[in-house]
Amino acid sequence: MSDDVQNKIFDIIAKEASLDRARITRDSTLKDLQIPSLDMVQIFFAIEDHFNINLPDQSADFDTESAGGLVDTVERLLAEKAEKEKAKA
Amino acid sequence: MRRIVITGMGCIAAIGHTATACWASMREGRSGIGPLVNIETELLNVRIGAEVRGYDPLAHFDEKRLALLDRVTQFALIAAREAVAQSGIAFAGNGLSGRTAVVIGTGVGGQNTLDDSYRRLYMHNNPRCHPLTIPRLMANAPASHITMEHGITGPSFAVASACSSANHAVAMALFMIRSGLADAAVAGGTEACITVGTMKGWEAMRVMATDTCRPFSRGRRGMVLGEGAGIFVLETLENAKARGAVILAELAGAGMSSDAGDIVAPCDLGTARAIEAALADAGLATDAVDYVNAHGTGTTINDPTETRAIRRVFGADADRLAVSSTKSMHGHGLGAAGAIELVGVVGALSQGIIPPTANFTDRDPDCDLDYVPNVAREQLVRAAISNSFAFGGLNAVLALKRAA
Repeated sequence: MSDDVQNKIFDIIAKEASLDRARITRDSTLKDLQIPSLDMVQIFFAIEDHFNINLPDQSADFDTESAGGLVDTVERLLAEKAEKEKAKA
Repeated sequence: MRRIVITGMGCIAAIGHTATACWASMREGRSGIGPLVNIETELLNVRIGAEVRGYDPLAHFDEKRLALLDRVTQFALIAAREAVAQSGIAFAGNGLSGRTAVVIGTGVGGQNTLDDSYRRLYMHNNPRCHPLTIPRLMANAPASHITMEHGITGPSFAVASACSSANHAVAMALFMIRSGLADAAVAGGTEACITVGTMKGWEAMRVMATDTCRPFSRGRRGMVLGEGAGIFVLETLENAKARGAVILAELAGAGMSSDAGDIVAPCDLGTARAIEAALADAGLATDAVDYVNAHGTGTTINDPTETRAIRRVFGADADRLAVSSTKSMHGHGLGAAGAIELVGVVGALSQGIIPPTANFTDRDPDCDLDYVPNVAREQLVRAAISNSFAFGGLNAVLALKRAA
């Protein structure tokens, strides 16, 4: 599961920011990768659209600065979503 | 007073993807009106249009850049490239960049982007909106992208006056250069309005033809929507001569007026005032003009009203004028209309061939001028005017002279 999420997020970052995917690691921050702001919002949009989740705009609880942080955030949101769906069922 | 000339033109429309191709179609009287192929027609009563067909955006823009460009901006960029290349003008390294204006008319702006985002939101209940929605749909996007692509840093903006947008934009550029505010301009109009939503809006006004567009002809049933862009490079006669540029025509003057009457019905008095103002600005007597590129939408009300306005201004000279509506071929491009039509005017002046009014069948007693029916005419054109009359009663007329 985790690898799948990470792979997909790295794919999205590489595609939207036209980056060599090999440059992206869990530790690389989006700032290190020199991703322009307009590409950033497109990355967030593509992630939300793919996983059907809503990334928070700004929150101390979520790390969206690094690629790894983004992966953890998405996994947390997916887990919360799964909980809610279970509770509903 | 500074004299302003056109040294480059670009166009994309239903009748061609370049100004050269569009002019060839106009000269041959070939219409680009046909069944709609680019949009779903299930909900439509009117299923014809003058669409840009066989167009592959990826042949002009890479995928990454395309994400930023609504169809309306793509058209403007393609036409601007052609115009700038033809003129041979260079903006960088000679101080011209900051002395060049970009003024682009559009009736609405990114209508395809808006339509797509609403479909996603309201129809598919998808609450996520694409983050490039706003920069794609804003009405100044075409002007902005032209400045970015060509490194033009002078005063630049969009002009919106529905069907007169392009003529108002070209008029603004003319006055900016004449006043010394700029030394050159990239100006014109663009529109990409053939969406299901826009078609339904026009249908509801009951001014759309279901057969074809036959301006000034008996049996005309209305307008046909078109799309595309026309973009021109304007500069001073002095600059053009100094750099040995080919001068396509002189943009001698422009006239503008508002009807201050009905929000949709045209008015012969208001439109006549714009024609008079254009002639006065260009210093043209009525007997010096040989050709009128008409607004000529093909609606029952526009065509006789425009005929009366022409008669009112030109008097006895009206009977020796050639008047044609090229909308019969490229459709009504709304905010791009005057710019696409300017290709026909420049062609008439530079080549001595007057583009015809296509699809003309019989004479209408209320439209009693020479409309150059169906077949182009070889005739020296010393000077010409081009009419645009918008919903909202905003009129803009350009006056051009043959290059000396």
